[in-house]
Amino acid sequence: MTQRTILHMDLDSFFVSVERLKNPALIGKPLIIGGTSGRGVVASCSYETRKFGVHSAMPSRLAKRLCPEAIFISGDMESYSKYSNKVTEIINDQSPTYEKASVDEFYVDLTGMDRFFGCYKWATELRQKITKETGLPISMAVAVNKLVSKMGTSEAKPNGQREIPAGEEKPFIAPLSVKKIPMVGEKTSSQLFSMGVKTIRTLREIPPKYLEAEFGKNGLVLWNKANAIDNSPVEPYHEQKSLSTERTFHEDTTDIVFLKSKLVSLTEALAFELRELQKLTACVTVKIRYSDFNTLTMQKHLPYTASDPLLIQTVKDLFNKLYDKRMLIRMIGVRFSHLVNGSPQINLFEDTQEMVSLCQAMDWIKNRHGTELIQRAIGAKDILTPKLSLINYGLKRTIKSTY
Amino acid sequence: MRFIISSSALLKQLSGISGVIASNPIVPILENFLFEVKETTLIITASDMQTSMITEMDVESKKGGSICVPAKILIETLKNLPEQPLTFTIDEETYSIEISSDRGKYKLSGENATDFPKAPVIKGGDALEMPSDILLRAINMTLFAASNDELRPAMTGVFLNMTDTNVTFVATDGHRLVRYRRVDIASDANTSILIPKKALTLLKSSLPSDNTLVKLEFNTSNAYFSFNNTKMICRLLDERFPDYENAIPVNNPSKLAIDRSEFLNSLKITSIYANKTTHQVRLKMAGSELQISAEDIDFSNEANERLSCDFTGDDMEIGFNAKFLLEVLNTMDARNITVNLSAPNRAGVINPSEQLKNEDLLMLVMPVMLNSYA
Repeated sequence: MTQRTILHMDLDSFFVSVERLKNPALIGKPLIIGGTSGRGVVASCSYETRKFGVHSAMPSRLAKRLCPEAIFISGDMESYSKYSNKVTEIINDQSPTYEKASVDEFYVDLTGMDRFFGCYKWATELRQKITKETGLPISMAVAVNKLVSKMGTSEAKPNGQREIPAGEEKPFIAPLSVKKIPMVGEKTSSQLFSMGVKTIRTLREIPPKYLEAEFGKNGLVLWNKANAIDNSPVEPYHEQKSLSTERTFHEDTTDIVFLKSKLVSLTEALAFELRELQKLTACVTVKIRYSDFNTLTMQKHLPYTASDPLLIQTVKDLFNKLYDKRMLIRMIGVRFSHLVNGSPQINLFEDTQEMVSLCQAMDWIKNRHGTELIQRAIGAKDILTPKLSLINYGLKRTIKSTY
Repeated sequence: MRFIISSSALLKQLSGISGVIASNPIVPILENFLFEVKETTLIITASDMQTSMITEMDVESKKGGSICVPAKILIETLKNLPEQPLTFTIDEETYSIEISSDRGKYKLSGENATDFPKAPVIKGGDALEMPSDILLRAINMTLFAASNDELRPAMTGVFLNMTDTNVTFVATDGHRLVRYRRVDIASDANTSILIPKKALTLLKSSLPSDNTLVKLEFNTSNAYFSFNNTKMICRLLDERFPDYENAIPVNNPSKLAIDRSEFLNSLKITSIYANKTTHQVRLKMAGSELQISAEDIDFSNEANERLSCDFTGDDMEIGFNAKFLLEVLNTMDARNITVNLSAPNRAGVINPSEQLKNEDLLMLVMPVMLNSYA
C-alpha cells in the first residue's frame, strides 16, 4: 500500500464557538451547552469550564456543581448545522476527497498532493481559510492514517495544528494514555488500568493473543490501534444504515399509557422521516433503558415497508414483549434498519383505500406545514400532560450517519 | 412377490409422481415408493402426508404382494440403465429387494408396506370434470400469484369456486391477484375449495397437455384428481380465502391499451436499472405516450423508455414493483392488453384486450405509494 496522507480537522468546542459568534458577550466566559433540566447532559463546554473538570456527556447537574458560575445554554441545533454546513462547503470547494465524520469533524485524503503543494502547507492554508471565513476556531493534524491524525488533532487542541511525519506515528502515540485511543471508553480504559496498562506503549507491547483473550475480537482492533495501524479509507459518502430516535424522560415512569403514546409518536415521526427519504425498512428495533441503566433491545424483521399502521403495530408488539418487569423506565427508543430505497407497496386486502389516502394526506400536510401539526391522537398525549414533557429533543435525536 | 417390467416405462411413471416425495420427510417411510402388485397391475404410491400420487401400470407377475422401495436409489438405478426388462424379486419376510438386469443384480432393502400411510378415501363428495389442457391453463395462469408466506396460509393456494354457470380460479398474495374464469365448465355443487400450491405444482408437471378428461372429486378436507392411470389426492387448505371480488376495483376510468410484448421488453430493460431489492419502476402516462423509468440511487443507475400506447383518461404517474408486472405480463399470452386504472394508489387491473372464447382472465397488480409532492 502506498503511503497515505490524511488530514483530520475538528472544530474546537463547536457549539460554544457558534454561541459566541452569535453573542460576542459570551467570549471569555465559562459556557456550557446542553440540557438544562434535571436529566440533561453537557453537549459542549468552553475551555474555561474544563479547568473545573467539566467535560461533555457529563450530567448538567454535576457540571453546575463543579462550575457554578457557568452560563448554561440549551442549544440550537439548527444554527449549529448551518455553521457546520458552511465549513463543509469550504472543505468541499478545496479538497479532493473528504469525509464528514460528524457535525464538527472532517477527514481529508491528501495522498499524492505532496508533489504539488506540500500537504502540511496546503492543510494550514485550508485551516486559516476556514477560520477567516466562518470565524470558528478549528484544530487539525496531518498523519498517515485517520487514527493518528485524529489523535494528533486532540493533542493540538485548542486551536492548534500538528504534523506527524510518516514513520513517527508510533513514537508519537506511545506516551499517550490509552484513554486517548478513539473508541476506548470508560469501560475499556478502566479494564486496561486494572491490568496495569496506562500508556499506549505498554498496550503495544502486549502480545495480541492476550488482548484477544481479554477483550475478544475488539482486543485485536485495540492492538492494531496501539500500533498506529488503521487502513480505513476516507469515505466521502456514507450509506445511511439506520434511522433512530430515542427519548429520555424527565422522571422515570411506569405509566404504560404514557409510554405507549410516546412510542407511537416516536414511531410516527420516524416513519415519516423514512418516507421523506424515500426509504423502506426491513428491521424494527425497540430499546428500553430502565432507571438502573439496564438497557434492553428487541428487534423484528418484516417485509420492506414504511407504512405507519404496520410499523406502529410492530413497535407496540415489541415493546409488549420486551417490557415485562414492572420497573421504572428512563428512556425508550425506536430504530429502523436494513434500509433500502423505495416506496411502500400497497396491499390489496390490508390497506383500505381510505387508509392509504389518509396516510398520504397526512404526509402532505407534514411535508408542507411541519410535522407537529398533525399526528395520531394517542401519540399527541404529552401536549396534555406537560409534567412529563421531554428533554433534549434536538440533542438526543440521532441519525447514525448522514449524507 | 415377483414381477417383470420395462425399465424405461417404470422410470417414466416414477418421474411423474416422484415430485411428491419431500427432500426431508416427516417420517422416513415417506422416502419410499409403495409398490403393490395385484394380479398383473403394479400400483405405485408416493406421498408426503399432505399430498399423495398414485399411478398404475401393467406388469408380468404371477404372485402379488406389496413393499416399500427406497425412491432415490431406485430412480438413480433406472436412470443409468439402458432400456430393458427388469425382474424385481422381493422377499416379504426380510423386505429385501433384488433387481435383475441383463448386466447383473442389484440388491437393496425395502420396508414393510403396511407402515406406509394410507391415502384418504373420499366418500360422498362432489365432482367436477374438465379437459386436462384447460385445467393446465388455469394452473399456469394463476399459480405464480399464490403466496409463499406460511404465516398467511389462506393465500398459499389457488381458490377454486364452482357455480352452475362457471368455474373460477383465483390466486393472490395481497400484492397481485389473478382471476381466471371458464364459462364452459360448470358444477351444480355451488361450492369452493382451496387447493395448496404444492399439489398444483405437481399436477402442472404431470397433467397431459391434450384434452384428456380430468376428474376432480372432493369433500371439505380432501380433493382427488384422476386422469389416465394417475391419481392425486391432496389435503385442502382449511382457511378462509380473502374476499377478492370486493377488492377488485370496478370503476377504472383510465385505460391504457398497449402491445404486451413491447411493454414487457421495455419493463425488462428498465427494471435492470431499478433498485435490486424493491424493483420499483414508474409509469407515466400522458396522451399517447407511456414513459417507463427506474433508478437505483445507490449506484446512480437510471433508465428511461418511451412507448407509444393508447391512453384514455387524465395524465397519471404510478409506481409498481417491476417483478410483479413482469410476472403478470409474462404469464399472459394475449397480443394486446388493457391496463385499467383509477388512481396512483389503487390497483392496476390488466385484461387481454380480447378475451379468448369461454374464458375471462383478469390480473391485478397493486402499486407502490409514491409521494405525490416529491
